[in-house]
Amino acid sequence: MNAALEARDLIKRFGGLVALDGVQFAAAEGEVLGIIGVNGAGKTTLMNCLCGLYQPDEGEIRLAGEDVTGRTPHEIAARGVGRTFQVPRVFRRMSLIDNLLVPVLRRRATDRALIDQAETMLERMRLIDLRHNFAEELSGGQQKLLEMARMLMPDPRVVMLDEPFAGVHPTLCRFMIEQIEAMAAERKTVLLISHDLTSIYRLSHRVLALNQGRVIAEGGVEAIRGNPAVIEAYLGA
Amino acid sequence: MNRPNPSSRSADRERADRIYYTLAALLGGAVILYFAVVPFVGANLAFHFYLMLWITMASGFNVSSGFSGYMPFGYVAFYGVGAFTTAILVKKLGFPVLLALPFSGLAGLVLALLFAPTLRLSGIYFAIVSLALAYICRLVITNMPEEMTGGSFGIQLGSQAEPVLSFYVMMATMMLALGTILWLSRSRLGKALRAVRDDAEAADMMGVNITRVRLYGWLIAAFFPAVCGGVEAWYTNIVDTETAFNTLITAKTVIYAIAGGLGTVSGPIVGALVMVWLDELIWRQFPLLNLLILGLATVLLVLFLPRGIVGTLLRWRPAWRRYVP
Amino acid sequence: METLVIIGIVNGLIVGGVYALIGMSLTLLYGVLRVVNFAHGEFVIGGSFLAYVLFNTFGIPPLAALPIAAISFFGLGYVAYFLLIPRLARSDDPESMSFLMMYGLSIALAAFMLVLFEADSRSIDYSFTPISMKVGPVYVATARVVALGVTLVVAAGVSAFLFLTLPGKALRAAIMNREAIQIMGVDIVKLSAFAFALATGIAGITGVLVALVFPAFNAFSGPEYAIIGFIVVVLGGLGNPLGALAAGVFYGLAEQLATVFLPQAMAQIVGFALLVGTILVRNAGFGRWRVSR
Repeated sequence: MNAALEARDLIKRFGGLVALDGVQFAAAEGEVLGIIGVNGAGKTTLMNCLCGLYQPDEGEIRLAGEDVTGRTPHEIAARGVGRTFQVPRVFRRMSLIDNLLVPVLRRRATDRALIDQAETMLERMRLIDLRHNFAEELSGGQQKLLEMARMLMPDPRVVMLDEPFAGVHPTLCRFMIEQIEAMAAERKTVLLISHDLTSIYRLSHRVLALNQGRVIAEGGVEAIRGNPAVIEAYLGA
Repeated sequence: MNRPNPSSRSADRERADRIYYTLAALLGGAVILYFAVVPFVGANLAFHFYLMLWITMASGFNVSSGFSGYMPFGYVAFYGVGAFTTAILVKKLGFPVLLALPFSGLAGLVLALLFAPTLRLSGIYFAIVSLALAYICRLVITNMPEEMTGGSFGIQLGSQAEPVLSFYVMMATMMLALGTILWLSRSRLGKALRAVRDDAEAADMMGVNITRVRLYGWLIAAFFPAVCGGVEAWYTNIVDTETAFNTLITAKTVIYAIAGGLGTVSGPIVGALVMVWLDELIWRQFPLLNLLILGLATVLLVLFLPRGIVGTLLRWRPAWRRYVP
Repeated sequence: METLVIIGIVNGLIVGGVYALIGMSLTLLYGVLRVVNFAHGEFVIGGSFLAYVLFNTFGIPPLAALPIAAISFFGLGYVAYFLLIPRLARSDDPESMSFLMMYGLSIALAAFMLVLFEADSRSIDYSFTPISMKVGPVYVATARVVALGVTLVVAAGVSAFLFLTLPGKALRAAIMNREAIQIMGVDIVKLSAFAFALATGIAGITGVLVALVFPAFNAFSGPEYAIIGFIVVVLGGLGNPLGALAAGVFYGLAEQLATVFLPQAMAQIVGFALLVGTILVRNAGFGRWRVSR
């Protein structure tokens, strides 16, 4: 069977800098794949390549077996890929409901059905009372939740979360962890990017460690935790 | 937890929609009634003609800047090309005016397609390029053969003047523009445009085809000024490059739109109404200082009321956003 | 033909010097403040009118008007900064709103000069002795040679200031990274006000030079110079003062040589097309780069 998401030998250069240097991995349906690495290891670049924002210079990206390398971001989104951002990127001067409608604008369903769906989603994310507010009026943590809700609206098969717990207080953090576990339970493939190892180790089924654009280790949480190369990348000079 | 359940939420939604459309109908009805009677009661035809023209121009500009996030400082290009299209078709090719006007709109669309590559620019780059393109349009038309564009004397449309009919054609154009924007503000295209305005890359990754959406918005924004140019050429019976490509047309459009507030249907209407009246009053009192005050008003507007009248009102009462068209 | 080309080159250098100064001051403004100053042309023409008044009313010759223009415009710019710029930061889209505001200011200033001086074109009826000089095989008006000399001095002076003195280095640092320089303990408000004042001061000097170089000016000449300034700034790279100097001279040469070979309107179109083309080419795929980390 094909992996839900697969990257082969991805190379991405920015001028002289090689941001991704032959990254390769596969993630299965319902799997939570943690991607760790220090700042500048290439985590966000990898995510931007996977969702089509950057074109990789070499390599191949496959979604459920289909080659999507070189596709635009909206084409990849239409194939069931959703994401959040390190710093929330909500549509600032649109209501929360409208924010959630953006990813499903091309669905055939009636406006009324989509709005109902959006309200249900906002209820799940505990934002329902704010549904008519502009997104810019939310707090940072609420914006993270809004992004998560927006990502889940079209029921994507693959979701990518970029530093979901950065700057989020512990209560909210727990709530988000529950949500991520629910996504995996819904058989979604979850890519979880973070430099915070605790939450990654707790949630991930498997972990990919990046350093300077290369995969330096890959495997179960226990194996990664004790991997000397990972420890060196995090602690070494 | 006192949270509204789904059925009360949908009732609430229907109530909000009812208020929204009632307000839209009232506003539209008032505008129609007000302008429709102008020729009968012998009010100042020219003043009201230009009032409608500015409402239309500001509304078109709103589609570009309020919905799509582009500030075309060369907006006059569409107006000027529309004016010359009608003038040339009528005078040189013998078209009836009413047949020529749709071609003005078409010319605006064609020009918008030609300028479409500039849509990948953003912010200040887009503004400057748009300005330069407007100058290029003007220079090109100025330097066309005299038998076509009339050189520096311009084109006289001759015995085509029909002030009252052209007044009503202007009114129809305005209503078409307002109807389009009312539709746009509730439509999926409008939501996509707003999303692209706020964060194009994020919208792209959420499945919005940003290139196509931007182009649609751009075409709508270009159509109306081009028709305005044609109607105005018919109304005044003369077109020349000096007036048809005057940068003040862009300036006034931008100022009126922003004075009302970008992003709402009512903003440009309110802005044009207030500012055109103000302009008229000032002009009657101090004809020489007209431009000076227009310029100062722009500066003050940007500094103290950057969201415009309607925009500021909605900032003060965010809950009204759902009700105000 | 050969003589025509030489005249074209000489005129190109002279006119290009004026453009270079306009471009340099505009690019400083944009670099430090992120303000695109549409009213810069009116600042320049304001300098021309100042020289005009100083000469016609007080008999002060243009060369002596230079320091007066520089100092008075510097002061005006300093005040204008605090009136106009700080409030801008509060709007949704400060860059476009700044452009709109300066557009308004441009209209207001042009109208103000119109009220003071009426719509007629003016020129300063002052001549140097000898009235013209021989440069190679061609004669050039002394006023224009003097203007070129002044341009060189001002350009060299500003460049030396930017690259050799501490405040100049702070200005260049602010162009490169506005946030970082605040962390380094530089008072960004003071620095911005200074940049605005400096740019306005240079505009004042440029205005006097415009009165010397060009046959006439009027209240509505401003936007023409502002647009040329934009072209020069874009060609030289936004926020790059030395690039603007080079681009100004290049553009002046291109314009003057183009008038030798092309009808004037064509030369103007070429200028605008150059602007559009440069921006389009430079920004191709720009968005894809911006979010890279």
